[in-house]
Amino acid sequence: MGLSRTTILFIVSSGLSLILGVLRIPNIAHGSLYMIGAFSAYSVISFLGGGGFAFWAAMVVAPLIVAAIGFVMERGFFSYLYEREHLMLLLLTFSFALIIGDLVKILWGTEYRSITAPGFMQGSAEVFGLPIPYYNLFLLLVGPVIAVFLWLVVNRTKIGKISRAAAVDAEMVSAVGINVGWVFAFTFVLGCFLAGLGGALIAPMTSISLGMDHSLIMEAFLIVIMGGLGNIWGALLGSLIFGLAQSLGILAWPQFGIVFPYLAVVVVLTFRPKGLLRSAW
Amino acid sequence: MLKVESVVKSFGGFKAVNGARLHVEKGEIVAVIGPNGAGKTTLFNLITGHLLPDSGRIRFKGRGIEGIAPHILCRKGISRSFQVVNIFPRLSVFENVQIAVLARERKTFRIFSPVRNMAAEEVHEILRNVGLYGERDVEGDLLSHGDQKVLEIAVALGGKPELLILDEPTAGMGPKETERCIRLIKKLSDESGLTILFCEHDIGLVFEIADRIMVMVRGGTVIQGRSEEVRRNREVQEAYLGEAGEC
Amino acid sequence: MKWKYVTPLLLLAALAAAPQFLPRFHTYILAIVLLTGLLATSLNLAIGFGGIYQFHHAVFYGVGAYGTALVLTRTQLPAPVGLMAGPVAAAALSLVMGVICVRLSKLYFGMLQISLGSLVWATVYRWYSFTGGDNGIPGVPVPGWIASSESAYYYTLAVTTLSMLALYRIVGSPFGKVLQGIRDNPVRSDAIGIDVKAHKLTALVIAGFFGGVAGSLFVVIDTSVFPDMMFWTYSLEVLIMCLLGGMYTFFGPLVGSSILVLLRTYVSIHIPYWHLCLGIILTLVIVFLPEGVLGYAARRFRPKEGRLA
Repeated sequence: MGLSRTTILFIVSSGLSLILGVLRIPNIAHGSLYMIGAFSAYSVISFLGGGGFAFWAAMVVAPLIVAAIGFVMERGFFSYLYEREHLMLLLLTFSFALIIGDLVKILWGTEYRSITAPGFMQGSAEVFGLPIPYYNLFLLLVGPVIAVFLWLVVNRTKIGKISRAAAVDAEMVSAVGINVGWVFAFTFVLGCFLAGLGGALIAPMTSISLGMDHSLIMEAFLIVIMGGLGNIWGALLGSLIFGLAQSLGILAWPQFGIVFPYLAVVVVLTFRPKGLLRSAW
Repeated sequence: MLKVESVVKSFGGFKAVNGARLHVEKGEIVAVIGPNGAGKTTLFNLITGHLLPDSGRIRFKGRGIEGIAPHILCRKGISRSFQVVNIFPRLSVFENVQIAVLARERKTFRIFSPVRNMAAEEVHEILRNVGLYGERDVEGDLLSHGDQKVLEIAVALGGKPELLILDEPTAGMGPKETERCIRLIKKLSDESGLTILFCEHDIGLVFEIADRIMVMVRGGTVIQGRSEEVRRNREVQEAYLGEAGEC
Repeated sequence: MKWKYVTPLLLLAALAAAPQFLPRFHTYILAIVLLTGLLATSLNLAIGFGGIYQFHHAVFYGVGAYGTALVLTRTQLPAPVGLMAGPVAAAALSLVMGVICVRLSKLYFGMLQISLGSLVWATVYRWYSFTGGDNGIPGVPVPGWIASSESAYYYTLAVTTLSMLALYRIVGSPFGKVLQGIRDNPVRSDAIGIDVKAHKLTALVIAGFFGGVAGSLFVVIDTSVFPDMMFWTYSLEVLIMCLLGGMYTFFGPLVGSSILVLLRTYVSIHIPYWHLCLGIILTLVIVFLPEGVLGYAARRFRPKEGRLA
């Protein structure tokens, strides 16, 4: 159970990490984008009447919607403000988080929503004597797939290499004649896609509500900081540690269980302030 | 006063400073010259505590100072200016120097007295000395480049140093400003007996005012001596004339 | 007529007279405006004047409030002790957090502070027995001499005025100038003999202390505390106040917080989408008015020598 949530955390955090690593923007709107992913998935599935096809459609369409929103954000606003201080960019993403938060309220109302997993994924399998829902197993598969996919993109494709170079020295990259703007746009959109995907994937597992954005963004940030900015494996490691700390914490001390992950982050950062694995900057 | 003995510093596999030697007597003006990349700034960074040497000793007034933090070193009497202009852009010329004086007087934790006229006399004197008194209320980043470099020196003077280290003080200056800077250095040495160590690209100037010159090539000291010795030295000629246009 | 001195005095007089003319609700709001202004100004000491990325200032606000509330509700200690306990606790926390974070620069400092702050929040949120958990502590027994709406207001006005005066002095002192120097050029500051870390730490403790004062004032005005006071979103709101008013001016944060508190109060009555409005305002400020209201005014009405307007 904890592991499947960890998958979602990983997917969302890796998006955040990419954005932070390459564009150096702490994207506070990331949680809100995740929320839109969940609500969009709900709408798509409701619109298409449920069932297997609707589910897969939602898993593709919802993240695309979020990616489109991200594109507008980046091209429409961020691209003009890159020379400003980090603080400004951070507050700008916060303003988007605020706006999106209320827009969701306007578009979808304040009630909880829920969707169920498609028919073929309902029920559970017996793994080591424990009943594990098929959906959770599905998520456990998806996680590593995404991780590998991301690693391939970042390390093996041309655009991935350019992004990594741009993270370290954007000026140099543009001096060589590459349009850094599109690199940034691509990275940002990819990051948003991941956020939307995370939201869409978690939709069948949890109640979709306002406030999803707040709880998630804090966790995602802490994971990214813990793992190393811009580092995909760091996001994976961070998610695992975070999820583990949370599960163990709740098991060991139910009342204060939620404190454990924060404690873990503080410990890690005190000894390795730049994160466990290598940061992009 | 300052003795650098066989200091080595590498970055990764690259030996930026390789067995450099330097020796500065009280009241002297000593210049360090050398082609680009010879390690002059790295050497200065080692002296002022911004870097820790891998090996070798650096002694100031007889005591070892390797790796002592810059702000503590400043209180021991070494002040420094930087190659790239490094003033306080949003503060006025007066305030720039004032901070340095207040830091020296250890008044920086005073939180309840108004700062406006503190140490005004001393700051004004320093400003008059370097010729920036007229611009004392102008904001740092509004000054011309040459004035900013002079302000750099003024700020360093605020610490009432015994040893003043200037990293390429005339970098980026036109001929008139360079003249002015050189005359200022000479004046500081003559009038206040300040010991000055600086590094430069422009050899002509160096020969004009330096008492002794140390030549650095590829991280090592080729020679340290009076201008005549240095001029005649074979290796120096090769380093500079062999690599024409290296100045 | 020295406007620089007269304007604050007039303002002070107006604020002192206000409760005589305003209904209770508005007096309450005015008091909130004042203490929030103090909170924002204390944050600005760290971020505007010190250049320190203080991303979770609300922690000190919350701890100040909880400190005061807990002493007043759970102990028999005299009220003034309670009122001081909050700020002192906040300053102590600031010291501890500062020591841990101060070796980091900029963004990393901010993020570690958010982590630590969230840890504090999570602990408070869950500790039902001690802190009341997510319910907070309603009905704090505030001493009689500041229990009425009017007296609470005057107490707030007095404390805020004194605190602002103190902060004003600090900014104009050698320490304040050095802090600004560190903000603009830490390397140079280091090289002229300033122990950068020690000064930053001092700034953080002062900022934390006055943040805590604001928190204890809230307890007096509202007689309650709740964990959301130290939730990270509130920290960002306070940051917005500083930005809105002008981060490099002394009174900017006060202006910013006044605007924001008044807007939030009166807009929320009519429109249920305050966050949307806030987000839009913030976006406009960042894009068009990054130096804030006072920053812009300073530039417009007192052009510097040689500077293009």
